Amino acid sequence: MTSKRAAKGEYIETDTGNKVSRRSQIIGTTNIILGGKTVIQAEVIIRGDLLRAHQNSAEKQGSPVAVAIGRYCFFSKGCELRPPGKVYKGWFSHYPLKIADHVFIGPSSVIEAALIGSHVSIGANCTIGKFAIIKDYVKVLDGTVVPPNMVVPSFSIVAGRPGRVVGEIAEGEVEGMDLREVYRGIGNG
Amino acid sequence: MASFKPYTYFQCPCTDTNLPPRRLGESRPPSSSSETEQEDDRTFDPRAPRANFSLYPLEHLLYCEDCHQIRCPRCVLDEIVTWYCPNCLFEVPSGVIKSEGNRCTRSCFQCPICIAPLSVSSIGAPPEGLGAEYVQPSGPYVLNCAYCMWSSKEIGIQFEKPNGIYAQLSKVKNGGTPVITPKERRKDREERSRDASVPMVMEEGISEEGEESVNLDAHEDLDAESQFANLKAFYQSQLAEASPASALGFTGGDYGYGSPGALSRIMGLYTGSNFADKRSKSKTGTMREAQDALEGLQLCNTASDEETIARLRNEGYENTASVAQLKEQTHPAHIHSVDDLRPIAYLLRTKRSKRCKTCRHILSKPESKVQTTRFRIRLVAPSYIPSISIRPLATSQNFLLTPFKPTQFVLTFKNPLFDRVKVSIATPGTTPGRFESRVTVLCPQFEVGANTDAWEEALREGAEREKRRTKAEASEGQLQAEAGKVWERGRNWVSVVVEVVPTSLRADVLMKEEDRGPVREDEDVVEIPVFVRVEWEAEGQGDDTVVGEGGEGG
Repeated sequence: MTSKRAAKGEYIETDTGNKVSRRSQIIGTTNIILGGKTVIQAEVIIRGDLLRAHQNSAEKQGSPVAVAIGRYCFFSKGCELRPPGKVYKGWFSHYPLKIADHVFIGPSSVIEAALIGSHVSIGANCTIGKFAIIKDYVKVLDGTVVPPNMVVPSFSIVAGRPGRVVGEIAEGEVEGMDLREVYRGIGNG
Repeated sequence: MASFKPYTYFQCPCTDTNLPPRRLGESRPPSSSSETEQEDDRTFDPRAPRANFSLYPLEHLLYCEDCHQIRCPRCVLDEIVTWYCPNCLFEVPSGVIKSEGNRCTRSCFQCPICIAPLSVSSIGAPPEGLGAEYVQPSGPYVLNCAYCMWSSKEIGIQFEKPNGIYAQLSKVKNGGTPVITPKERRKDREERSRDASVPMVMEEGISEEGEESVNLDAHEDLDAESQFANLKAFYQSQLAEASPASALGFTGGDYGYGSPGALSRIMGLYTGSNFADKRSKSKTGTMREAQDALEGLQLCNTASDEETIARLRNEGYENTASVAQLKEQTHPAHIHSVDDLRPIAYLLRTKRSKRCKTCRHILSKPESKVQTTRFRIRLVAPSYIPSISIRPLATSQNFLLTPFKPTQFVLTFKNPLFDRVKVSIATPGTTPGRFESRVTVLCPQFEVGANTDAWEEALREGAEREKRRTKAEASEGQLQAEAGKVWERGRNWVSVVVEVVPTSLRADVLMKEEDRGPVREDEDVVEIPVFVRVEWEAEGQGDDTVVGEGGEGG
């Protein structure tokens, strides 16, 4: 994350191939894991500072994780990733936000999910509610508000306010949800 | 409309009634020679009302390797592999589906107001003091909607345990009064019949069920489920009385008309009285109908209608359940107010495998486990059929067409196969419909290279991109595509140019009188039917014909 190269341009490319915009706001970088080859565009906010309130001493040592992101993810301009929080046993605490591989987040969407599976495409201006779980191969159409605690099973198309499953992903659409090509298309050039 | 993007759809020929279905045991698909002759005469009209149901994006189509045909959702058969709850993702065995129905019977509910998922939360006082965080929250529990802040407290329902909500909910009505289960009703009914027939009943029987029978009066208002249970029980008892002991010695009861005795009687209807039970013939008497609520009769209550109207007047529109809300309810018949709505148990979802309707081969089969997303078999059209994409030739120009101004579009064919394919395309001179635009394909016949190793592509990519760019730059000046020549060519793709001369949308210049009138829905989009014939040589001769269709902005 931190190995900044001298090259001028929109994106800073890290050793693992992440392309991070200079105009993005990434807070709490030590608590964020990027799997590599992930694109973070301008004005993206990632809140790595929203950590678990009380760490048990029994838990393994090392830096706590607030946001974990896999490979080939794409965060469009102005989207926000916030770890979800709730009151549990009398304490308010945030919980980690996990994002798997090949996840596309559209511009100006706010993500507070607990888990987003692989090959998920989230459109523009969406809100993914707290502790939502989105499984693999899901499309969330533009402007959807996925309610808190919702579970979206694999191969679903979600739309509406509140979001509901409106369709299924066809067998042939699976290949089209790969983001390798999109990653290659992004650069300083 | 300013951001109209040209698109291509594929037409599945399954709806063409003149194609005979392939018979089982036939080794080859219907010979292509006679078929294509017919197809040549016929042109596809994308404006026909039925065309809406046969046009699909390529990704939505499957491909049958035995029929050499694309298969759309209308010409495949679905078979359910697994049932599961979309909320808790637990698999539900098919036996349970038969007995419990198609809803999740654990704790998965949707909000009756906004259909967002409900979560269970405790409304007991939070524990305080030292070590409070280690204490499990205690009941009572309610169902909460985190989207619209609805709570099951609003309909007077609370739960004792945080799990098994479905079972708990089925025992209470809105408002908190307990539901009398069919089992209790049956007990009560049996007891009554015993009372009627034998006045001297065993004492313990009465004392045991005494408090339940109090609830049951002959004019109570039944909900749909208990009414059905009562009616079913009543008619079963009627059948039992009507059909006496059969040949096999069963005495009515649960064996009603589905009993072996009844079956033998039905079989004897036409063959003579050999099978028939003589006694049953003589004894078939009239059956009476249900007479009170205990037997499932619900009298139409005019007072309750007036009550409903009065309530509607008093509580206004916001307390009236909407059609969308009622649609989600399992028994919407007597619900008018939002107070009567009940939490909706999640409908189960399925994983399905797909078979070709013609030859019954499996085209797609997912793994049966709920959590896995892999497929065991997946024959999808994009891995067999060249993909066709369309884009305007001049990128700087805006996408909207100008009447009478020739506009050129690039059709790109990309071959997914490991063999070279020969492609011939044809369009009618003018598009079908009221507004006829002229269409010319500049290169109707060409060959698309094989989809060779991906590594080769990666190595060659740099050079190729360079070539493409120079070509584009060279053409920018003249913007002229040569007739009979391919526009651009790559390893496994070929682009050709299609010229469209759009017509004016002014209806008053139309030739035919009856055609005149305002522009109807979607008539401002130019839809061009393109007949595509793809030939390739694999093991044996594989001919394949597909009609593709491109829509372009207008």
